[in-house]
Amino acid sequence: MSRTVRAELPIRFVVAAIALCVLSFSPGLKLHAADSGVQVQLNTKNAGPRAVESLTERGILRDYRFAWTSMAQALESNTVDPLAGAFSGDAKQWLSQTVAGQQKSGLSRRYLDQNHQLEVVFYAPEGDVMELHDTSQYQLQIRDGNTIIHDEHVVVHYVVLMTPGADRWAIRQLQAVPQF
Amino acid sequence: MSRLLQLCAVLCATGSFAGLCSAQDFHVPDSAVAGEEASISTTGSGKAIFYLLGPGVSRKTDITLGGEVQLAPQDLRNAGDYLAIVCLGTCHSESFYVSASKPADLTFLVHPSRVPVALADAVSGVAFPFDQYRNLVLATENVNFRLTAKDVPLWSRSVRTQNGVAWFRTGSGKSAGPVQVTASLDDLKTPRAMQQVASDPCNLRITGQRTPKGILVQTEPVHDCAGNVVPDGTMVTFTATGSAGMGTVDAPIKQGVARAQMEAPGPTTISVASGVVMGNEIRVGAQP
Repeated sequence: MSRTVRAELPIRFVVAAIALCVLSFSPGLKLHAADSGVQVQLNTKNAGPRAVESLTERGILRDYRFAWTSMAQALESNTVDPLAGAFSGDAKQWLSQTVAGQQKSGLSRRYLDQNHQLEVVFYAPEGDVMELHDTSQYQLQIRDGNTIIHDEHVVVHYVVLMTPGADRWAIRQLQAVPQF
Repeated sequence: MSRLLQLCAVLCATGSFAGLCSAQDFHVPDSAVAGEEASISTTGSGKAIFYLLGPGVSRKTDITLGGEVQLAPQDLRNAGDYLAIVCLGTCHSESFYVSASKPADLTFLVHPSRVPVALADAVSGVAFPFDQYRNLVLATENVNFRLTAKDVPLWSRSVRTQNGVAWFRTGSGKSAGPVQVTASLDDLKTPRAMQQVASDPCNLRITGQRTPKGILVQTEPVHDCAGNVVPDGTMVTFTATGSAGMGTVDAPIKQGVARAQMEAPGPTTISVASGVVMGNEIRVGAQP
């Protein structure tokens, strides 16, 4: 009996190690790891004229967090691929322009330790558009090549328009303002 | 040149050649408007690197301190927060906001595209003013909503935008037909088309008579309670109850009337319904 156990132990160890390696390089785990750096709290108490459904609330939380994760990835790695799905319309356009500008000038941005206090201020009667206010805090790092030229903890107020797609909410407008 | 300045920046940052580097100071605009030129004044002397980062812009240029850095309209097209950084020895940064310009476009969403007449709170619309660069205009504006049918005004309301959005909700009119829903702001006007259709049938009445093949039953012209003709294709259900049992026939309205041929040799009672609306009952005698 004990011999069998001894024989199984290395096999289990190898299987666990392989599984760990596979998971470590899987996109799903990377997304989760990146997601964990983005904290989002959503307040729907002042939403109107339509009340936010609980399913929608969960969707907004999930998709807004995903959008900021995607944006951070895009602006750090200077690729537009992460923006697909999470952003549309004008927001996607200026983010793509930002990435193109960074590629040209050799700059990159990092959004670290993100915290977003999100509040729904308008939810259309037919549920086809939502306006939110986001008081976000993060550590913003600007790099020129490998040199950090700016590193600051910032508080930024964003006015956000989100619209529902087939399976998720996308950010159409992301506009910083001095205050709400 | 940039590499040289970066080297200078590193050397100055470490304090190795602090005497060579002139202190830099600069002032960003107190307020800037999207798509308008702006400038950043600098003090000091010597060459430096200037960075401008904002929504849609990531610019890096060499500048001479002591002069003004011109920000072109295309650099400030997107409203939002901008960061200006000047590096010489150390890097200094200042942030400023660019606000949206005046409204140049009005995004207008209207629901539904087809609506039954005389239905309370059935029509809603949402309008967002944007400037010419597609920035949401957050300053308060008056948006006029208007419903017209064949140039006859049905309803209108002026609504002030709040957080860059204005909206309305109202009931549908009494007459079937096309309705134009318009949102306007100063010279901007965004029309949307909506179709008002008849509501549920009202006073659904049938007549019937025996024919050699059975009973021919048909409705009178089907109208809703406001007198609008119920659209063709609306289904009407005829139900015949007699000694042989019960049978139903679904028939669509064609040219305002629904017809059905029913087989029932004995005395028969026929009733009619469309959706949740019940009509009259008729009794037809047995086949001679």
